[in-house]
Amino acid sequence: MMLSQRRASWRKRKSLLMLALCGLATLLAITPLLWILGYVLRAGAPAMSLSFLTQLPTPVGVPGGGVLNAIIGSAITVGLGLLISAPIGILAAFLAAYQPNTPLGLAVRFGTDVISGVPSIVMGIFAYTLVVLPQRHFSAFSGGVVLSFIMLPIIIRSTEEMLKLVPTALREGSLAIGAPEWKTSLSVILPAAGNGVLTGLMLAIARAAGEAAPMLFTAFGNPFLSFRLDQPIATLPHTIFVYAISPYQDWRAKAWATAFVLIALVLALNVLARLLVWWRTRQLGSVIR
Amino acid sequence: MAQDARIGVPERKSFSSRLTNFWQHGDLLYYSLVLLAALLALSLVAAIGYQLWANSALSRRAFGWGFLISSRWDPALDRVFGALPFISGTLITSVVALLISVPVSLGVAIFLAELAPHWLRQPVSFLVELLAAVPSVIYGLWGLFVFIPAVVRPTGVLLNDWLGFLPIFAGPVFGPSRLAAALILAIMVGPTIAAISRDVFRAIPQSQREASLALGATRWEMISQVLVPYGLSGLLGAVILGLGRALGETMAVTMVIGNNLDLTLSLLHPGYTMASIIANEFTEATYDLYLHALIEIGLILFVITLVLNLLARLLIWRVARQTFQEARV
Amino acid sequence: MNPLRQRSMQPKLVATRLSREDYRDSQESPMSKISVRALSVYYRAFRALADISLEIPANHVSAIIGPSGCGKSTLLRSINRMTDLVPGARAEGEILLDDWNILGAGVDVVEARRRIGMVFQRPNPFPKSIYENVAYGPRLYGIHRRHELDDIVERSLRQAALWDEVKDKLSQSGLAMSGGQQQRLCIARALAVEPEVILMDEPASALDPIATLKIEELMQTLKESYTIVIVTHNMQEAARVSDYTAFMMIESPETRSGIIVEFGETNQIFTRPKHQQTEDYITGRFG
Repeated sequence: MMLSQRRASWRKRKSLLMLALCGLATLLAITPLLWILGYVLRAGAPAMSLSFLTQLPTPVGVPGGGVLNAIIGSAITVGLGLLISAPIGILAAFLAAYQPNTPLGLAVRFGTDVISGVPSIVMGIFAYTLVVLPQRHFSAFSGGVVLSFIMLPIIIRSTEEMLKLVPTALREGSLAIGAPEWKTSLSVILPAAGNGVLTGLMLAIARAAGEAAPMLFTAFGNPFLSFRLDQPIATLPHTIFVYAISPYQDWRAKAWATAFVLIALVLALNVLARLLVWWRTRQLGSVIR
Repeated sequence: MAQDARIGVPERKSFSSRLTNFWQHGDLLYYSLVLLAALLALSLVAAIGYQLWANSALSRRAFGWGFLISSRWDPALDRVFGALPFISGTLITSVVALLISVPVSLGVAIFLAELAPHWLRQPVSFLVELLAAVPSVIYGLWGLFVFIPAVVRPTGVLLNDWLGFLPIFAGPVFGPSRLAAALILAIMVGPTIAAISRDVFRAIPQSQREASLALGATRWEMISQVLVPYGLSGLLGAVILGLGRALGETMAVTMVIGNNLDLTLSLLHPGYTMASIIANEFTEATYDLYLHALIEIGLILFVITLVLNLLARLLIWRVARQTFQEARV
Repeated sequence: MNPLRQRSMQPKLVATRLSREDYRDSQESPMSKISVRALSVYYRAFRALADISLEIPANHVSAIIGPSGCGKSTLLRSINRMTDLVPGARAEGEILLDDWNILGAGVDVVEARRRIGMVFQRPNPFPKSIYENVAYGPRLYGIHRRHELDDIVERSLRQAALWDEVKDKLSQSGLAMSGGQQQRLCIARALAVEPEVILMDEPASALDPIATLKIEELMQTLKESYTIVIVTHNMQEAARVSDYTAFMMIESPETRSGIIVEFGETNQIFTRPKHQQTEDYITGRFG
């Protein structure tokens, strides 16, 4: 065989080089995350204070003020979205998990994938035509509706995966005693999958809390404090957007502070969710054994 | 129901009695709810399509297919609308974003799936997934005030100095530009491509790796000549999914692209995308034709992302099938 | 008791025990292609192989038999250093290919793996055409000219007794064949890089009896040019195909480390085993 030593060592060097490049690519990919987090921390933390979280926005040029209205607004819209999408999502996930090979089960899983690919601004238009146009005004309600659409596929998919992790022995044991399907689901399976379902909900909340685009023409934003569902309402990401593109320097500074609040919330939810999953799989592992 | 005294012989229930049991135990309600939920989830896509279609009727009738190739967007004076600037802007920024992020993301996927030591995999995977969790508006904020001055503008100046004779790098150099949008998109979409590609690699059976290494291949040769061809459909699916996400990205793009209607070839010039025109002008659409034109753009965006999504899912499904087929040998 | 093939050149018995002194004593033994000396393989803290010593004769078929879990596959895989792929695996001792210790520091594993080929339990052809499967190896070594590759592909497929069946459909997928054909394709693929040793890890266990027979016949032809080592859990197969047999067992239920109990000519192992454990296994007293 015409095997030259030079070629062999060149092949090895090439392999090492390409593998090193892959490591470099990973470093390159992670850098923006650290950069963004670091900058938001640096720029936002100084403007952070308890009053920032508890006060309403002040007019331009007036120092102080906060984003209380946005925090409340985000809580209301996301909460509403959760209220709508969680029951539907969890129920649909039951179907997808326990009858995966029926046409309906396949369709649900497929449909979930498709919905998750729809851009959030298109969802915003949809909610606009569905709610805002007939009602003839922007509202927190329409904001909640659009967030529910965005949260639905996330809840379905993660709930389905958590349900599949529950040992079938558990379900069969309950059914064998004679418990009806619905009772089995509610009092045996759901608690068993409980933390996992919670994880899915947390990830969905984290995603919804960060959505600004659909809010542009549903919740629309509101400089005042509002708890009403039929009025426009402020949300954290929307407030960031408005502050960021404004020509005022102090508003731009507030954009960073608001970003700090939002990203702290989103990160906390994500980290907690992963921790829950990790703890959950360890726990279930011992159950199976 | 006749009681059979012998142990182990099942009772034979009549259909009506089974139905009564069903109803009494609440299972009928349960199953109906589950069915309803599933149908709701399914019908959402159809509903979105329908609403977009119905609410863009004025614009569709007024401009027909010409809407796609007309570059006149004049809501104020002539009230004529054409989507070409936005379609081309969307395509240009997304394609350039992919050109940048696909090689990097593949490298990340290979690193995570094949190279990283065990203890490094989870933390790095987690960091990559966190990138996907950062809200778009925060990417926009950072992009506008930090990334553009620090990276995009200098890069633009460099490209213009060295390659300015090429139309895509023609000056003048702007900060907010298509290049800025493409770079931010690359950062935002990369994690998606990387995560799915990593899963594709991990799904490839170990026997393929063993076979190529046993023949005397180096690690890179194994990865590039056996694993990548094996998982090609899945990798392609990951890229297409990334493309779909890039096309629909709104906030970050709107904040860094400069929102300009000019149809130039230069990346260094501000531009416009379908998502950002909707974001910017939707609440200023004071008359119906204007609104319908914007909704029609939303319809175009919806259709494109739908088709890409379906294509990507199909490709990813093919890799799973391939592995399954081989396992049956 | 079992059919043995008569060969014109009957090599002398090589009796291998666990101590190294015996090597110096034995005379008139056939050339060793692979010498395993005091090999211990650890998976983290677990000692999978304990102090294994073995002389694999060149141009013969050597079989490794033993109950499941005794480390047969581990031993086979350490010969071409596939055990490196397992995280936390390390090896002590020496494995000599002719005079080259492939466990040494700084050894070119890629070259070692070229010279020692492997066929796996389940056929694992690449999802490429039959031609490309066989050509994969030579391409790595810089052979790109079409007529050279054609020659190599044909030669390898002939050696694997597959050429006549596939010569008209070389561009067909390697997966579109029966299990037995796929396994012969994998053998052809291994042969294409011109190894000196071929390791086979239960090569016929996933195949039907007719395909198994073909593979076994193939081994007899191949051993004229290559040294073959097979692992099998099927004693009859070992008795049929091999010239030499090594019997492995675990040392004790506490350590679960694999050791070689006995190694010798197949005829001798199966008719006049020297150790009680060998005889117990052969006669089926334990599985």
